Amino acid sequence: MLEADRHPNIEMLTYSEVTKVEGYIGNFRVQVKRKPRFVVESECTGCGACTEVCPIYVPNYFDENLSARKCIDISFAQAVPAVYDIVRDSCVECFACVDSCDLEAIDFSQQDEIIELEIGTIIVATGWDIYQEDDYGYGKYENVITQIQLERILAPNGPMFGHLVRPSDGKRPKKILFINCVGSRDVKKNAYCSVVCCNLSVKNSKLIISEHPDTEITVCYIDMRCGGKMYEEYYKRARDAGILFVKGMVGNIEEDPLTKNLIVQFEPVGTDTIVTMEVHMVVLSSASLPSQGTKEIAAIMNIEKSPDGFLKEVHPRLEPIKTKVPGIYLAGSCQGQKSIDLTVSQAKGAASSAGIPMGAGEYVIELIRAQPIDERCAKCYKCIEACPYKAISINDEGTIVVDVISCRGCGICAAICPSKAIELAHYKDVQYTAYIDELLPIED
Amino acid sequence: MAGTIRAQYPTSLRTVLVPCTGRVGADVIMRGFGRGADGIIVVG
Repeated sequence: MLEADRHPNIEMLTYSEVTKVEGYIGNFRVQVKRKPRFVVESECTGCGACTEVCPIYVPNYFDENLSARKCIDISFAQAVPAVYDIVRDSCVECFACVDSCDLEAIDFSQQDEIIELEIGTIIVATGWDIYQEDDYGYGKYENVITQIQLERILAPNGPMFGHLVRPSDGKRPKKILFINCVGSRDVKKNAYCSVVCCNLSVKNSKLIISEHPDTEITVCYIDMRCGGKMYEEYYKRARDAGILFVKGMVGNIEEDPLTKNLIVQFEPVGTDTIVTMEVHMVVLSSASLPSQGTKEIAAIMNIEKSPDGFLKEVHPRLEPIKTKVPGIYLAGSCQGQKSIDLTVSQAKGAASSAGIPMGAGEYVIELIRAQPIDERCAKCYKCIEACPYKAISINDEGTIVVDVISCRGCGICAAICPSKAIELAHYKDVQYTAYIDELLPIED
Repeated sequence: MAGTIRAQYPTSLRTVLVPCTGRVGADVIMRGFGRGADGIIVVG
């Protein structure tokens, strides 16, 4: 990330949002809203003097709300750029931070800043978020956490400095249960498989048992999906290390109000017995969802979403990077959850896909395009409504203009126009008239 | 498609090529019926 920030050809706009995308490949006009941090990016050196005097604590989003940060603080220690920000909603405006800052880098008067960029190609890599509903007591029972929260607990730079402790009392859990497929593979929630959670349960359980061999770990699964390079072998090593993988889903979970332990019940498939187990902590391998804001960015870019909510590629097998808009490409989990190795491969693919038209300096389009006939147009604008690629617009005089780059030659406008005022080159009405007349000759 | 899989189909079946089924409007279908077609299938 630091290398990317320092590269002379890369400009990083953090704390910003894309609000509008217009135009076409080679000539996109992108509007970006830069949100106010209330800290001047060019002045802040990340010294932290302000954080020390700030009296307000807010939940730390980066640590999955397992720790607190000050109202004025840096998002996380390795943030790029190393600039602080203020959570204005929680700020009491005591201005202790302003007094403490020698560089006068704090500016409470900052507003949204809108910038316009001229862009040739776009790669969307907006990632994923974890499913957080009330399944298995999540949100109700303190010691039921998600895999992402476990990752933060185990991280050496996390809120617990890498020590395995559980939320309720900060003690090390000696009995842990992982529940896989939470919110995934469920027609009532998300029908799809979230791909990475089985391997995540193998990794995290193996990490814990390597560090603390006296831990009893059980993983409840529907199937163990450990495809990909070396994952099946990893799964075997996890079983050999003593982690118990049980095929069966948890039916009931209750909390012991005194100890905050969880009492779970599950039926291992094919055994006809219900196992009741008391554990210190439950880790949910929750579903992967398209990240917050995916719906909005899809609408802004005029790209489609698949039925599962992830961004839609041209073809899931043969063209997983291109979108229906020429010049906009997808990379990573936004197109569908995938492991790290596949994300990196797809990112490289997206970069080269974007590089091809940019290197060529030109973009070749087909000739099959819509052509308006102004004299016939009644200006009902049915064609504009019907066009799935938003390729038709109105100019200052109110006449129809077709953007030949966005137009894909589908012909819906030609079919729907009640005045026959727009036709599809090479597939005109006169051609079809002659075609059909010849195919179905009327004998006199 | 039928040609690619070497399937046989009767000569009473006439094909009209379209760039996309979106191009097929009511007027084209009606002309087909008007010229004596017994049925029209829009495939795509």
